[in-house]
Amino acid sequence: MQNGLLRMALAAAAAKLASAMPSTASSAATAAAGVGSRQRVELALAHQEPDRVPLDLGGGLVSGMHVSSVYKLRQALGLDPPGAPVKVIEPYQMLGEIGPDLLDVLGVDVVGVGRSTNVYGFRNEGWKPWTAFDGIPLLVPEAFPTDPERNGDILMYPCGDRSASPCARMPKAGFYFDAIVRQEPIDEQHLDAEDNTEEFGPISEADLDHIAAEVQRLEPTGRAILGDFGGMSFGDIAFVPGPTLRHPKGIRDLEQWYMSYVSRPQYIYAVFERQCEIALANLARIHAVIGDRVTAVLTTGADFGTQQGPLISPKVYRTLFKPFHVRVNEWIHANTRWKTLIHSCGSIWRLLDDIVDAGFDALNPVQTSAADMDPVRLKDAYGDRIAFWGGGIDTQHVLPFGTSAEVRAMVRERIEIFARGGGFIFNTIHNVQAGVPVENLLALYDAVNDYRAYPMATQA
Amino acid sequence: MTTTTLDRLAQAVIEGQAAEAVAEATRGLEEGVAAESLLHDGLMAAMRHVGQLFEEGEIYVPEMLVSAHAMRSALEVLRPHLVEQDVRSSGRVAIGTVKGDLHDIGKNLVAMMLQGSGFEVVDLGADVYPERFVQAAHDGADVIGMSALLTTTMTNMPEVVQAIRDAGLRDRVRIVVGGAPITQTYAEEIGADGYAKDASSAVRLVQGLVDRAAGSTDGRAPGAR
Repeated sequence: MQNGLLRMALAAAAAKLASAMPSTASSAATAAAGVGSRQRVELALAHQEPDRVPLDLGGGLVSGMHVSSVYKLRQALGLDPPGAPVKVIEPYQMLGEIGPDLLDVLGVDVVGVGRSTNVYGFRNEGWKPWTAFDGIPLLVPEAFPTDPERNGDILMYPCGDRSASPCARMPKAGFYFDAIVRQEPIDEQHLDAEDNTEEFGPISEADLDHIAAEVQRLEPTGRAILGDFGGMSFGDIAFVPGPTLRHPKGIRDLEQWYMSYVSRPQYIYAVFERQCEIALANLARIHAVIGDRVTAVLTTGADFGTQQGPLISPKVYRTLFKPFHVRVNEWIHANTRWKTLIHSCGSIWRLLDDIVDAGFDALNPVQTSAADMDPVRLKDAYGDRIAFWGGGIDTQHVLPFGTSAEVRAMVRERIEIFARGGGFIFNTIHNVQAGVPVENLLALYDAVNDYRAYPMATQA
Repeated sequence: MTTTTLDRLAQAVIEGQAAEAVAEATRGLEEGVAAESLLHDGLMAAMRHVGQLFEEGEIYVPEMLVSAHAMRSALEVLRPHLVEQDVRSSGRVAIGTVKGDLHDIGKNLVAMMLQGSGFEVVDLGADVYPERFVQAAHDGADVIGMSALLTTTMTNMPEVVQAIRDAGLRDRVRIVVGGAPITQTYAEEIGADGYAKDASSAVRLVQGLVDRAAGSTDGRAPGAR
């Protein structure tokens, strides 16, 4: 079943070996595979049918793959010699570097650009080897702590500063980090929106230089560039605890934060208002250095859904979030040619009228495994107004625990449902996690390759 | 007027007003209302209503959390009186997220909703190893609750079921599971006694299991030590 994909991988490997100058061969392969990628994504986002369904893997921090799975996939495709480590490009969720050769083999159309530092505030540089708890060989940035605590856990420090209190923890035998909540006593009388926006300052020259250099580097690949510039993700629970801050102030406890939507709404509104002003000023400066060379930007990654229904009421979305989503979308659409992408996990059917109305161009990850998120109903109800950037395969049940045949069948079904009339970028539902059988990963991308061509066989 | 104090206590919990809930619970005690009545007809009645509103889609997680916190604050006021008057809990539930999983908001919400239904809750916390669940079963929990958010950690659940079985305690406890990737089918596969999709249905599930255990032949009362 995986013959097609393996054949492509072997051809790519052979091309590498045959060349006296591997770097030239590699960049030529990249350019060849990348022809049309950007236009393919642009057409899809404009609700037109390109030559084939665009594919995203690793373009953003919510469309990637856990480093363990990247390692297994790269090994299975013969892209690396056994034991060759894979870089961890995002330490929080432990995402692996996909690599240009794997992008080529799979026919990926999207690459990503972010800020110069990662979610914990340090640069991905000074790579050092580390063996993950599951035995996979990795490369991690210099500031990534690799010495376990006495109980076996790994603790992460804001900006790599060991003198600060740790901001995250990977439990022994774990696969990811999670926030350590550092909540000072809440003084209700003296809540100050500045405390909860300390991390959202004016963008640094270092970040602007980094973004410009990355866009410069990636543009020749021909792939669509997805920007994730940070700062616009109002109420993003991944960032509420202040992972980059040495002494987080304000409301940093997750439950207190969620409760604040109904118990301290004025405060939350003030935080978002301040955050929004900073974000729009930063967007103007980013646009000034890169122009319209990115195709889309991830504007918000706050989750509004649980497995069973919306996390917040439509009223809370409308009063606290929507005004700022509208402002960001309107600014971007008025001043750039960028498309805007919203990421929200979970069951958000009851919020979608408002989310679509807020002016987003695309929705990710389209968690069809959650309640009320039937793909056919989503496409019928919203397919002409918002593009689906995700929904390709259920990563909660089918991909990790199903058979290869079930994976293949679901990929085919999803492409049939979502691809009609464009408006679909194939992406797994959120990052591919660790522990997925490699046969299922091969079946996934093999099926994408087999079924992504327009016109769709089943179309009338 | 005792009824209005009870009503105001319930209303304060439903609206998530912690300070008012504490004030009303205190006032109730001063007026001579039995702590058991303040618990049953005030706090538990309010949380039943909150659970119903949640299931009907009238309220969401933030509203449920503020109500649960208000209930907890008032419960602290009542607790010494409940102990003094030897008011029995509905049963003892030990609950935690499984090994490797640090995501505990869902688990916390379930724990609070169970407390609000009169259960004694032993919160084992997050990243709980099988031996701690076994210890909790050994220490007299009627129900063991396990939660997992991740596909990579849910697979630690069967290990806990097996450990409880190995310790010879499987017949003494009911095991319930929940969390985003968990399904009824998975619960059955791993030999758990039940699955609930959210905090509100978790209370119904646990109540049902405890009631059934109480009605079974061993005659052991729920919550009896």
